[in-house]
Amino acid sequence: MAMAALRREGRRFASLISPRPITAVRSSPLYPTLEDEGPLGLRHISTQVVRNRMKSVKNIQKITKAMKMVAASKLRAIQTKTENSRGLWQPFTALLGDLPSADVKKNVVVTISSDKGLCGGINSTSVKISKGLHKLNSGPEKETKYVILGEKAKAQLVRDSKKDIELIITELQKNPLNYTQVSVLADEILKNVEYDALRIVFNKFQSVVSFVPTVSTVLSPEIVEREAESGGKLGDLDSYEVEGGETKGEILQNLAEFQFSCTMFNAVLENACSEQGARMSAMDSSSRNAGDMLDRLTLTYNRTRQASITTELIEIISGASALEG
Amino acid sequence: MTLNLSVLTPNRIVWDSEVKEIILSTNSGKISVLPNHAPIATAVDIGILRIRLNDQWLTIALIGGFARIGNNEITILINDTEKGSDIDPQEAQQALEIAEANLRKAEGKRQKIEAKLALRRARTRVEAINAIS
Repeated sequence: MAMAALRREGRRFASLISPRPITAVRSSPLYPTLEDEGPLGLRHISTQVVRNRMKSVKNIQKITKAMKMVAASKLRAIQTKTENSRGLWQPFTALLGDLPSADVKKNVVVTISSDKGLCGGINSTSVKISKGLHKLNSGPEKETKYVILGEKAKAQLVRDSKKDIELIITELQKNPLNYTQVSVLADEILKNVEYDALRIVFNKFQSVVSFVPTVSTVLSPEIVEREAESGGKLGDLDSYEVEGGETKGEILQNLAEFQFSCTMFNAVLENACSEQGARMSAMDSSSRNAGDMLDRLTLTYNRTRQASITTELIEIISGASALEG
Repeated sequence: MTLNLSVLTPNRIVWDSEVKEIILSTNSGKISVLPNHAPIATAVDIGILRIRLNDQWLTIALIGGFARIGNNEITILINDTEKGSDIDPQEAQQALEIAEANLRKAEGKRQKIEAKLALRRARTRVEAINAIS
């Protein structure tokens, strides 16, 4: 009678331990297969295996939690700078307008991305938009070139648009981000690339959970003249009498360069903020997943442990009863 | 009738409020702006910006940029600035002397130009302090 009851218990355990976790463990090459068959044909994972797995998942959880804190503190540092730099770029838009629809021959797309990974999907969205702009602006007379800032965009764009890349700049974040650095960078770009319109693609930081990919357009002075004459939004430019220098063209040239470096500065800061924010939320969901995994593994561990205790008991009792009777 | 003045740099907003009158130095000389000025867009030279509000003059040292004036709204975009009250007089004086010495030592066109720029900056800062007092 007792034996039958114990046998029934054993069968119940067999159904609880589903075969799936066992195969998962077997397929991972790191864990040795320490399986043994119990008296009822049960297959147990050894508790050792489950414990190892739990340890590594716990480590992952700790690491991702730490990365989230680091990203949060870096975000706080950059956020104030970004908000201050936003004010500078708006007067330019008010005066010279931001015309994404300007039809020009030579487009240059400046893609801003991060150097390090683990930051969610922001780099892929930037690259997607850059590719979209490229497609939109390639035609019989028009051409589009890329200027890439950051490793991640470089990795993605080098694969299929290698011939269109003019300039690649990486490891921006190693030097502290201030205006002088970025203006030197902007200078480099302006010197080496001929352009009619520069389109800067970056992720604007709206809040800690929302990053909007945006395109800012900076037009070269000749195009600004052309658009101003044709009226429309830039028509107001002519109403301003331009002083301070020999010719109006010279002033507009300086203005365009200044505008470019200010917009670049703002774009780089916003992208850095978005990167830290995205990393925060990616690491957060990562540690939460690790927590869930840990819970499931703990349940499996306890079940395995109880099953092995039951098997031992069965062996002992059946051995003892065999001796008796 | 007052003017709305905003002075912006890439790092922060230096000034954003109403004033009665400003004196700005551009490439073609100093201009004074009163309410209802004609709209102009101009380049700002390295010099001092004087602001008058309530019969009191304030000075800010500007290091190059652009200004747009129109509809009683003045927007000045500068690479770098310092408020007159923030500058230490002795330090500015020392900087001026160092800049003058550098200019005398400078050889070659590029060094001369850099030294001249540094000199103008130092002079502007000293002027900013003097103008207040």
